[in-house]
Amino acid sequence: MKFFRVATVVALSLSTLFIGTNSASAAAPKRIISLSPSATEDLFAIGAGAQVLAVDDLSNFPASAPMTKLSAFTPNVEALIAYKPDLIVLNSTATKAEDVRKQLTKLGVAVYWEISPVTLADAYSEIADLGKLTGRVKEANSVITTMKKRITTAVNAHRKGKSVTIFHELDNTLYSATSDTFIGSVYKSFNLSNIADAAATADSYGYPQLNSEYIVKVNPRIIYLADAEYGENAKTVGARPGWKNITAVRKGQIVALPTDIPSRWGPRLADFYEFIGQSLAKLS
Amino acid sequence: MWSWRITAISIALLVVVALLAISFGPVEIGFPKILKTLLGLPGAATGQERTLLLDLRLPRVLLAALVGAALATSGAVYQTVFRNPLADPYLLGTAAGAGLGATLAFTIVHGDVYALLPIFSFVGGILAVLTSFFISGRFQAEPNTLLLSGIAVGSFATAVQTYLQQRNSNALRPVYSWILGELTAANWQVVSWSSFYILFSLSILIFISKKLDGLMLSDEESFSLGINPQQLRIIAVAAATLATATAVSASGLIGFVGIVVPHLVRGITHRVTNRSLTAIAFAGASFLVLADLGARTLLSPAELPIGVITAFVGAPFFLFVLRAKRLVN
Repeated sequence: MKFFRVATVVALSLSTLFIGTNSASAAAPKRIISLSPSATEDLFAIGAGAQVLAVDDLSNFPASAPMTKLSAFTPNVEALIAYKPDLIVLNSTATKAEDVRKQLTKLGVAVYWEISPVTLADAYSEIADLGKLTGRVKEANSVITTMKKRITTAVNAHRKGKSVTIFHELDNTLYSATSDTFIGSVYKSFNLSNIADAAATADSYGYPQLNSEYIVKVNPRIIYLADAEYGENAKTVGARPGWKNITAVRKGQIVALPTDIPSRWGPRLADFYEFIGQSLAKLS
Repeated sequence: MWSWRITAISIALLVVVALLAISFGPVEIGFPKILKTLLGLPGAATGQERTLLLDLRLPRVLLAALVGAALATSGAVYQTVFRNPLADPYLLGTAAGAGLGATLAFTIVHGDVYALLPIFSFVGGILAVLTSFFISGRFQAEPNTLLLSGIAVGSFATAVQTYLQQRNSNALRPVYSWILGELTAANWQVVSWSSFYILFSLSILIFISKKLDGLMLSDEESFSLGINPQQLRIIAVAAATLATATAVSASGLIGFVGIVVPHLVRGITHRVTNRSLTAIAFAGASFLVLADLGARTLLSPAELPIGVITAFVGAPFFLFVLRAKRLVN
């Protein structure tokens, strides 16, 4: 099952690679619209920022990205066309993405079909693809090399024994992410043991909702708060019934994750690995 | 005589509203050019503009019109059959069944979900109504029993849907946007298959519309008028359900059209009779085309879910009808 999913992803990314190289061979696109915050970060990191005409309403990094009200979730084809773009980065999970792609192609606009990565290698290949499309292969390769180096350094310096348990909190109703998810793979690379893995079969995409009593019972060493921007912190977590005896709460190992970085697969992934590394370094 | 005049006015309204809707969008195209393109005259738009007009805007306007007509007419028919002015087209579990079908599509289909989505939601909607129908005692069912089984079946379908979503978190966002209703990325394929079912069921409803008035009397009285009320009810509900299920499959759940439009038309014409059904169909079409124009332009270039607009207008209207009815009683 999983193999097939991965195989499809690989096949699809290979096919986009082909489409990509064909359309890029004529001339590098100069009027790009990115409907993906991660792709936006990629494009600016490889020095193609000047070729980017508009980005979606969530592409808030870098600050110089030309943010618009264009929605990446429900792309409006006509609004996109009004910008007269020559390349659009479209995520495959956008509403009716297939139809949007067909319409854009019919209107003569090239589409880079972005599939959200399952592994680190997928994230790198997106940067490489965008490098090829924009005529910045060398820059893309150097971004990838730097990322790889920083990530390896962080992981090697702070890798832990399997005994360290973590809870990655998505929201205060206790949704979490297993090691099979992209974010979960980051914790996994530090050899941490993810308490959500026990509920891996509950949700086929790896985002189960955990039970409060279970979390108290398995007693995680570290709690990572992906919902810090929505007001959760060490105090609110400690105040939950029964949570004050959890090791992470007692020892103050409650880590507020930075906004946006954990949910993007651009060059700032290295920042995220380093951030997790730092949080482990402080572990007593 | 009066009904022809009102029908003519409602047709004219639809033409005006449709032309208005097709003229607005993020890309500016001159109105004369649009007219020429639609009529196939020289000086028509070419290339990208032509594709935008004929493949993006036109199917969307047509789909909005079809769905609006289907929901408004079914609403009016349900209100007559169930003798309840607040009955809406989603009453018999159509919406919940279709919602379950859509969720199933998002969870089990790999690849292009949107191609199969209409089939799944259509089958789900029809199955839910059939279940309510058989549970409530088939042809002998009292309207109220049918209504209650519709609500129970609906709740059950919603529970299964929630379970599926919990097990497949990736389906949450697409299902959510489907529930709010979407005419985005409407294309000719959707327009052509949905127009077949919708026009078919609307023709039946309009054909039997005069007899439908007999259902407002007691069953004995309608028998004396030469109407078989049981049979007529079944035909009416079946046709209205087919229209609703098609509308839901094509565009998701768009609420309140079936309540606002029939009451508005009947209020303006001061007629409760079903002879105004044709006018209600055209008025429903105009209402949804207008609502979709709002959905496309109010937050432009972002989209506003069309269900938000119809509910924004519809919910206060619903309360108004409820209060007016209480005062009369």
